[in-house]
Amino acid sequence: MKLDWHRSHCGIFKSGRGNSICLILVALLLSSCASSRSDRIVVGSKNFTESLILGELLAQHLEANTHLKVERRFYLAGSYICQQAVLTGRIDMYPEYTGTALTAILKQKVGGDKAQVYQRVKSEYEARLGLTLGPPFGFNDTFAMEIRGDDARRLGVKTLSQAATFAAQWRAGFGYEFMERPDGYAGLAAAYGLHFAVPPRVMDLGLLAPALKDHQIDIAAGNATDGLIPALDLFVLEDDRHYFPPYEAVAVIRQQTLHQHPEVAQAIAELGGKISDREMQQLNYALDGQHRDVKDVAHEFLRSKGLVH
Amino acid sequence: MQANTVDGPVIEFCDVAYALPNGQPLLSRLNLQVHRGETLVLLGRSGSGKTTTLKLINRLLNPSAGEVRVNGAPTAVSDVIRLRRSIGYVIQDVGLFPHFTVEKNIGLVPRIEGWTAERIHRRVEELLQLVGLEVQMASRYPHQLSGGQRQRVGVARALAADPAILLMDEPFGALDALTRDQLQREFSSLQRRLNKTVVFVTHDLREALRLGSRIALMESGRLVTVLSPEDFLRSNDPLAAAYVRAFGNGLDSVANRGEP
Amino acid sequence: MTLLHFLLQNHDQVLELTLEHLWLVGVSTLLAVLVGIPLGILSAHWPVWNKPVLGTANIIQTIPSLALFGFLLPVPWLGDRADRLAILALTLYALLPVIRNTYTGIRGVDPAVVEAGRGMGLTDGQLLLQVELPLALSVILSGVRVAVVVSVGLATIAAAIGAGGLGEFIFRGLAMVNNQLILAGAIPAAVLALSADFGLGWLEKRLQPR
Repeated sequence: MKLDWHRSHCGIFKSGRGNSICLILVALLLSSCASSRSDRIVVGSKNFTESLILGELLAQHLEANTHLKVERRFYLAGSYICQQAVLTGRIDMYPEYTGTALTAILKQKVGGDKAQVYQRVKSEYEARLGLTLGPPFGFNDTFAMEIRGDDARRLGVKTLSQAATFAAQWRAGFGYEFMERPDGYAGLAAAYGLHFAVPPRVMDLGLLAPALKDHQIDIAAGNATDGLIPALDLFVLEDDRHYFPPYEAVAVIRQQTLHQHPEVAQAIAELGGKISDREMQQLNYALDGQHRDVKDVAHEFLRSKGLVH
Repeated sequence: MQANTVDGPVIEFCDVAYALPNGQPLLSRLNLQVHRGETLVLLGRSGSGKTTTLKLINRLLNPSAGEVRVNGAPTAVSDVIRLRRSIGYVIQDVGLFPHFTVEKNIGLVPRIEGWTAERIHRRVEELLQLVGLEVQMASRYPHQLSGGQRQRVGVARALAADPAILLMDEPFGALDALTRDQLQREFSSLQRRLNKTVVFVTHDLREALRLGSRIALMESGRLVTVLSPEDFLRSNDPLAAAYVRAFGNGLDSVANRGEP
Repeated sequence: MTLLHFLLQNHDQVLELTLEHLWLVGVSTLLAVLVGIPLGILSAHWPVWNKPVLGTANIIQTIPSLALFGFLLPVPWLGDRADRLAILALTLYALLPVIRNTYTGIRGVDPAVVEAGRGMGLTDGQLLLQVELPLALSVILSGVRVAVVVSVGLATIAAAIGAGGLGEFIFRGLAMVNNQLILAGAIPAAVLALSADFGLGWLEKRLQPR
């Protein structure tokens, strides 16, 4: 007779116990999953060309110079996602920019030169987030004010301050983001006293370079490492008043990863300072302009620098 | 507060009134006493206040005015749970717990009161026999029982902790005539054996005459009169006479208290 | 490479993301049950709470999930860890089916049973735990089933804010225009949803009161 009560409640007991067993199993599997990654490194990247190239360079260099298996998790959609992934250990490292780390992730105001920004980010990351930075790759992907190579040579203009004197005769073209950001056009115009005859044209980023070449605009805001800069003979004006914050490319790495695999620190250090602005432009062009495979392009570059054989 | 023992009324209504939250009165100035061992029938049509009166006894409703006393103690200050556990309650729809077996249904209050499993088991067997069910029924579920069987279990459940008082709200109203007749007879003989104090609600005069030791006639929230069955049949009270007329023939034989 | 081949070759990642997904769904459903069932009981027993409780849950439901994720991002403790944020958002979305079904389940208990129980001297707690909840369990579980199935789907969107789970395959696949990667995320997620639906549906039937 007692059994009837149990029978009628059996389903409930089963599901209750079953649920807790399931949760325990899941927890166990999750933890075992994390530890089974002791022999592999995960390299992440964001979802644009330059980040992809840097990620691939890191991955191939590690594969060639350590005994670790490298897994690639590329095309993660943006800084926040990469940051979350590296914080929770889903990836061990990914390429980031010092300026982005400072403003978007640490949420602080920009100020100071390249070296100062790098230091600030590195110490904050190490103190608060359990992350650290590798040495800068060697280029600064900041905003670039571009003019035609012809004009630069003809007018003898090299810096933005010099260019400001011609602003009244020029038409400008900018991307949406540059127009909107307070540290974009508005701040630039204030810093250099730029006054254009007509308001700048706002257009898609991809259309800026061709428009510049076709004389539809005379000055555009692009990225310093755009592949099209050498290809279309564009000239990047020097930011002599240091208006734009530095965006040095670095690898963000989990400190725990370095503890477990000290050889990784060595390997990443070898990539420090190996890529100039111009070289990054060429690498970007190889993918965007020439549509070559990222693995080939990365391998070629590493060989040319003697980092792999 | 010494509870009244032998002499006083078991249940007492002193100037009790009950009104709904919106102000509509359902009972007014009720004065009534129920004596030990009697079966008091509350007779009336729908809206007469008979079910309300019943529910005031086990505090499913609380009076708006006046005092209800059980065993001399006002229900308002008694612990409501203890009060209800000392009173058996049987309703028309029975309300058996569908997820419990018959045994679990009957044994619920004893289980909560902390009886041992052995004691509960013996009591269930005893009660099943008392209400005329086979002992094998204990392992069945309510949906496997007929209407009459369910109500027998309902009565058994109400008697499980051996309460001195039994409240019954039209318990046989939902059954077919044959089953109703059978259960009425069995209830009569059961009552003679157990001698509980019963308050029984019905709208059926025949049932009242058959089962009640006294009949309390109610209309529109007021107590009209309280009479023994014989006095009721001969009463000059207009409402009582109207009832007798309405139920017509065959009442004489019914008033013989229906022997099996 | 066929999809199956891809899944086998990358089984580490597939397993890792699946477990992350299960974690997001599991924790949020558990929280929704812990909060939602008491709220459902509250609104069933005290009708005055019915409108505010169900109304709030309803309003939360109408917020587009991606918007809610983005909306919670700037919040200090939450925004620091995307999985915390995702779990909170998923819990909020799971509340309505749980609350509503608890309410319906308890109100659906035969009033005669409740009256008999009360008249017998069961305390409110005993009535709730021994009578109302067991009888409402099947309906409540149906609400949990809906919550789980919806959560599995919503959790794929959580990857958009970096909370991990199978959605990560989908978003990466979209960025790379790689169908295999997209399916490697979409199909396991669909399988999870179907299994949960089937499994909980079976449990529901077993617990139905006779």
